Amino acid sequence: MNTVLQAKGLCKTYIVNKRQNNVLKNIDLSVDEGEMVAVMGPSGSGKSTLLYCVSGMDRSTAGDIFFDSKDISKLNDKQLARLRLDDMGFIFQQMYMMKNLSVLDNIILPSVKSKKNHLSRSQSVEKGRELMRKLGIEEIGDNDINEVSGGQLQRACICRSMINSPKMIFADEPTGSLNRSSSDEVMNELLKLNSGGTTVMCVTHDPKVAAKCSRILYLVDGSIVGEKQLGHYDENKSSIRDRERELNNWLLEQGW
Amino acid sequence: MFFRILKKDIKRKKTMNFILLLFVIICSMFTSASLNNISAVTSGIEKYFSMAGVSKYIVDIGMRDIADDIRAMPEVTDAKEQTLYCVLGPRYFTFKGKAMNNFINPAMVGTDKEMPIKLYDTDNEVVEDVEEGWFYATAPFSADMEFKEGDSFTLKVGNTVLELRYKGRIKNAVFGNDEQSAPFLVFDYRDYKKLSLEKRSHSYMERLLYVNASDDSGLKELSKKYDDVSYSSREEFKSNYIYDLLVAYIMMAVSAVLMGTAFVVLRFTIRFTISEEFREIGVMKAVGIDNSGIRRLYITKYLGIAVIGAVIGFLASIPLTDTMLKTVSGNMVLESDNSLVLGFTSSVIVVFVIVAFCYFCTRRIKKLSAIDAVRSGQTGERFKKRSVLHLGRSKLPSTFFFALNDIFSAPKQFSIITIVFTCCMLLMTTMSNFALTLKSEKIYPLFGVNPADVHIADTSAYAEILDDFGKYNEVIEDVEKRLKDKGMDSKCSITFGAPYNTSHKNKMEKLFYIVTKGNNDFVPECDEGSAPQKNDEIMLTGKAMKALGVKIGDKIKVEMGDSIVQFWVTGKFSTFFANGMAARVHSGFDLATKRNLGTMGMQVTFKDDPDMDTINDRVDKIKQMLNTDKVYNTEEMIKFATSMSDTMNALKYMMMLITIVLTVMLIVLMERSFISKEKSEIALMKAVGIPDMSIIFQHSLRFIIVAVLAGIISSIVLMPISNSIMIWVVNQIGDISSLECDRDALDVFVICPAILLGAAAIGSFLTALYTKTIRSSDTASIE
Repeated sequence: MNTVLQAKGLCKTYIVNKRQNNVLKNIDLSVDEGEMVAVMGPSGSGKSTLLYCVSGMDRSTAGDIFFDSKDISKLNDKQLARLRLDDMGFIFQQMYMMKNLSVLDNIILPSVKSKKNHLSRSQSVEKGRELMRKLGIEEIGDNDINEVSGGQLQRACICRSMINSPKMIFADEPTGSLNRSSSDEVMNELLKLNSGGTTVMCVTHDPKVAAKCSRILYLVDGSIVGEKQLGHYDENKSSIRDRERELNNWLLEQGW
Repeated sequence: MFFRILKKDIKRKKTMNFILLLFVIICSMFTSASLNNISAVTSGIEKYFSMAGVSKYIVDIGMRDIADDIRAMPEVTDAKEQTLYCVLGPRYFTFKGKAMNNFINPAMVGTDKEMPIKLYDTDNEVVEDVEEGWFYATAPFSADMEFKEGDSFTLKVGNTVLELRYKGRIKNAVFGNDEQSAPFLVFDYRDYKKLSLEKRSHSYMERLLYVNASDDSGLKELSKKYDDVSYSSREEFKSNYIYDLLVAYIMMAVSAVLMGTAFVVLRFTIRFTISEEFREIGVMKAVGIDNSGIRRLYITKYLGIAVIGAVIGFLASIPLTDTMLKTVSGNMVLESDNSLVLGFTSSVIVVFVIVAFCYFCTRRIKKLSAIDAVRSGQTGERFKKRSVLHLGRSKLPSTFFFALNDIFSAPKQFSIITIVFTCCMLLMTTMSNFALTLKSEKIYPLFGVNPADVHIADTSAYAEILDDFGKYNEVIEDVEKRLKDKGMDSKCSITFGAPYNTSHKNKMEKLFYIVTKGNNDFVPECDEGSAPQKNDEIMLTGKAMKALGVKIGDKIKVEMGDSIVQFWVTGKFSTFFANGMAARVHSGFDLATKRNLGTMGMQVTFKDDPDMDTINDRVDKIKQMLNTDKVYNTEEMIKFATSMSDTMNALKYMMMLITIVLTVMLIVLMERSFISKEKSEIALMKAVGIPDMSIIFQHSLRFIIVAVLAGIISSIVLMPISNSIMIWVVNQIGDISSLECDRDALDVFVICPAILLGAAAIGSFLTALYTKTIRSSDTASIE
């Protein structure tokens, strides 16, 4: 298995009012192609910061981060932007979208800007509609973003993250603002993507969400204090309840 | 708690609060400056005359010893005397070793010991006295030349030689300030005494009496009795300022536009900033703070910002008012009545308007539920389509598409910016049109002057008229003969005028009568009816007709000297003369006057209809023949006569500067507000990998598109608006039925739009660079 993402000695420090706050402390991690990794931990442990640093959305204070064998800590802002556009997808807890664009236009936005696949405008539209069809939201393409439900909007965000066929998707609490049924739908879509070969790294508080991931990293005070391998989830082979039970037991051991 | 929330709000939203404060300062500054300008211009000339102490009548008593007789008249309350020594032309002055040749009329020399009216220097300070060996002079003295303080001059009249140094320019309310007027100089009394002892072979003395009287009955009798005694009313001297007032009224119109623009921008900003507060309003409602408490909180905040901004704006308006007024008042003292009171009033108005805007903008708080407010004022049930264009269907480049889509998605917001940009653009283009029109040929007939090939502006070339205007016929014949002898067969004419009491039924008005005398076949322009064909026919201005209650076809009676003359009104015409209270008689009619009320020079029309090159050759020949430089073709004459192209150009450039400053400030503040409002979207775009430059171009393009749109709109409305403002302006001075503005296509369609576009592009680009400070990871911390 190839390693898609690797971090070595990753540190992130904020200085607020002359006080140093070490949010991430000397973190080493690697994510292989096709993995679905959940990052868990108590509030303020540095989960989102870790996600933003390894995805190049934020600069680390120290350490090396390799994405697809490229040291992203050495890339300039323009190169990082290109990397995020072409090879990474992002899903946020809040369904951030451009207010002035329709749902479909929001989805195809990265494709229109990307030169990776050399798609024409109509091909982008076609690909966007295809993704929406797969996620069951094809009927809302021409709607405004305030005309659809939270679950539909989060699935639209997943479509947007997928439009340029990225190597890896980063999700920050993707189900955090959804109800249980919408949350399940969104996780199922992420699982489908993962089973299709897309690597996923996801920050979550929800053990039910984490139980569907293949590996769980547990962060406390900016350090990875535990790691749990659950293996790929296949609803035909293993029961989700068994995975949840196993995970909960492990989390209790970690002090959850 | 109330003040703690307020304190926290001001600290946390310091960018938006600071932007609002800047807008309040701009609005307050322009309102205060504009109100002061409007006050100064409307009170304008009357106030200047009052400040200067110009009397109701000014009597030219020649050398007759009748001053005491006038003082003894029962209706006369006071009479101040002034004796002027008149040097018969510029050649008696030597500057840098050369005899001067720049002004056309006799130079009037007065003394600092005898100043019946106040004289002002260029800083509008009263000139009290003059040092020995120094002198002040009015603008015509330095026509076509640049003098600076300390420049040395030699004045040689007969055997008297005075070495004098130039102290600076003064403003004399009574003597004209355009290049056609006689220069007025003030000497120290010792220098003046030396000069006045000189024999009169190269000069003459003139004695003026500045008289305040309840009426002019005694003066009228006196002027009938003595041929060389005449008088003018204060109103007649006001016509010296036609062009100054034209420019001042244009300035006033511009001020009104600036004030309107500032309020539109302010309203937009307040609405914009309050809409940003809705989420917090929702939170406050949710925790149970009542509506009035929430409104009080915001009204207190905006009141605080308004008061601070209004005070700073008021202070900043003082130099702005001064600069604006100085640009248009080079020849007179334009000062606002109670500028401090007006400034304070305008500041209070701005504060009141801001609080009123805030009150009305927060009105919605009552109607919204807590959750509606949290949703930034949108109720859950009602959705408004935002996306108008579709990226998928569009062929536009993506950055351009996003910019255009943003504009279509917030039409109200960008419409207001378009309107403001259009106003800015119109400020420049109308000014360009006005500058061009006021020096075009079409303005000249409004002074009652007929079209001609050549204009002889130097009255010393036909100086006999200065002594007796009745000699115009001999003078015209003499000039025509001399021109014919030089192979330039021509017809010459002179236009002049005099005021007479005119009555119809029971109404009586003093009208200014204009006549063109000479041998050409000039038929004056007529707006309605027909020009007078016979000696008993007359044209009146619309204003005069209205004042007298006269229609075309009616008969009017005119008191001319001892006789009453009757005229049939045959038509209506336009003129600047006498505030539009004027009449024009047939060229065959002789006005009963000996007084020289000034002319616009002698007009020469060649019989052989020569081309422009020939006319220019002949201009040179006439200059040699009459030994003067003041001979012009029509184009040069307009420039010389109006002598305001410099002022208009200064005003035009000031408008360009104001427009650039206003546009850039507007863009910087608006773009900064947009960035603040769109922080989440910018962060999102960055998170999905859209490069910084693409976002910066998108933001810049929005303003560029709006600027282009403003350019198109202003080009469409330019001519109707220019014509309307011009008609309004000229009718403040005269009575003009119609006047179509000229335009310089390069100026109004290329240069001015390029300036606006350049300001929009550079201002928005530089401000949009601030988006670089927003990071993709900010998506996690956006509220």
